[in-house]
Amino acid sequence: MADMLAGRVAVVTGAGRGIGRGVALGLAAEGAKVVVNDYGVALDGSAPSSGPAFDVVEEIRRAGGEAVPNTDSVATWDGAARLIGTALERWGRLDALVTCAGILRDRMVFNMSEEEWDAVIAVHLKGTFNCVRHACTHMRERRYGRIVTFSSGAGLFGNPGQANYGAAKSAIGGLTKVAARDLGKYGITVNAICPVAGTRMTVNEEVRRARELRRQQGIQREDRGVAQIEELDPDDVAPMVVYLASEHAGGVNGQFFLCFGSQVALVSQPRPVRTLYKADGDWTLDELERLAPATVLEGLVNPAPPKEA
Amino acid sequence: MAKRLEGRAAVVTGAGRGIGRAIAELLAAEGAAVVVNDLGAEVDGRGASRRVADEVVEAIRARGGRAVANADSVADFAAAERIVETAVKEFGAIDILVNNAGILRDRMIFNMTEEEWDAVIAVHLKGTFNCTRHATRRMREQRRGRIISISSTSGVYGNSGQANYGAAKDGIAGLTRVAARDVGRYGITVNAVCPGAMTRMTATVPQTARAVRAERGLSTGAGERRFPLRNFGPENVAPWVVYLATDAAKNVNGQLFLVMAGMVALLNYPAPVRTIAKAGRWTPEEIATIFPHTLGQDLANPAPAKES
Repeated sequence: MADMLAGRVAVVTGAGRGIGRGVALGLAAEGAKVVVNDYGVALDGSAPSSGPAFDVVEEIRRAGGEAVPNTDSVATWDGAARLIGTALERWGRLDALVTCAGILRDRMVFNMSEEEWDAVIAVHLKGTFNCVRHACTHMRERRYGRIVTFSSGAGLFGNPGQANYGAAKSAIGGLTKVAARDLGKYGITVNAICPVAGTRMTVNEEVRRARELRRQQGIQREDRGVAQIEELDPDDVAPMVVYLASEHAGGVNGQFFLCFGSQVALVSQPRPVRTLYKADGDWTLDELERLAPATVLEGLVNPAPPKEA
Repeated sequence: MAKRLEGRAAVVTGAGRGIGRAIAELLAAEGAAVVVNDLGAEVDGRGASRRVADEVVEAIRARGGRAVANADSVADFAAAERIVETAVKEFGAIDILVNNAGILRDRMIFNMTEEEWDAVIAVHLKGTFNCTRHATRRMREQRRGRIISISSTSGVYGNSGQANYGAAKDGIAGLTRVAARDVGRYGITVNAVCPGAMTRMTATVPQTARAVRAERGLSTGAGERRFPLRNFGPENVAPWVVYLATDAAKNVNGQLFLVMAGMVALLNYPAPVRTIAKAGRWTPEEIATIFPHTLGQDLANPAPAKES
């Protein structure tokens, strides 16, 4: 057992399975005491159980680490408060927060129900806000903290059939950038991971069927992530998260990292790449029609061009 | 001059004032029939007044345009359907949707209340979803449509004191990228604009707050510009939005634009810029050793820790 996080206390949400479990084990292996949070629900957010959180706590303890379970839902303000409170009551401090908890309810946007939208936004987006909000008040007092959120290529690059998930994950990106700026001066860093890994969220029969359907309809991008996802071990994501949760990463703030097997990539921040400019700004549509195609719009490809009927 | 949007029906949310009003008026000037939606609330979302939308309708009609007012809240799933159906009922279709309605409740994240978070997410993010969801159902049947949503650099770049607004606005960017892929094949485009304009919404951000943020290096601009920006009137955001609603822009889909004071810029999609890889799993110690010389090279902390 190494000691990069000796004496530190961490909370990991959604730590009962998949990537979150790997992160909790990784943090504990470096000496952190870990609150293992998992609401223990099915992939769609139903049927809570305490099993997954307790199992991971057992695993950490067997390896000689310290951990306690928590089965609150991050989607509620009070649940998140109790979760953060668990670390403070048990160990008197909180150094690192990693927010992995999430669910999926994929549907094309024109068929998505209000309930499908709300459920996914509640767990991912509000859940991340709730935990960050409760953790950062304590971290600010102590002038130290490490927050690692989970965003996704589904939102940053756009994945068909995931309006709720993509919006939530992109919004977590925005929340991460703002929180980094709100909290950086207090010795707190806030960074985001965009993972690609084979977990029950990405590799199951329903996902395979949906992907096949999209492929048949010509709306599935054939990128490497989709082709290889089943072979990507979720535990590969943990080392980068552990690094960001350590003292060593004190200068890394407001950044996004793509974790893809053993590859880790820094993700670019949005910036203007092509610009049109008119001094007084009073553009006419004639002018825009004449100038835009060869300037701002040059070379743009429609990611889902119209089908001829 | 030929009108580009003759016979088209548009919905503009939050069209009672500011950028939304400028967009509604320019759409109408190009011949579109416009549903002017505005709850008539204060900047923080409180209160309501039908008069705000009515006034814009009167202004459009006075110039010979077609418009009707609607005062439903975009934040309500069922009410958003009424907004979209108003266009169908009054004008026979919905060809253009501009998601512009929004409110502000700025607060540093460590002091933000649940209510401040919820209110802003409800209007911006859920409001944009609600209208997009109902409009795409109609547009998919029609096999044509244009959706333009208002995002913001507050989320796309990150702006201190706006965790709720920034999250909502970056969420709208994500929703735009996904929706573009969901509906593009039906002849619908979905794009987003990050505007810069002086409106009553930006007027609520105290100059002292801006000055303090700038002094602390907390504000992130677009970087160095080689040309001066002047005239931040909301009417300068409208031409690009209306352009995206026309036939000329039929293949522009899933993109994010920065529009302010005469500048129209395409924002890049996020992409990996530097990568580290090894055969087998990294240890955290290995990453700690290699990171500063690889991925971490030249990374600036947007808000470095103060020595106490």
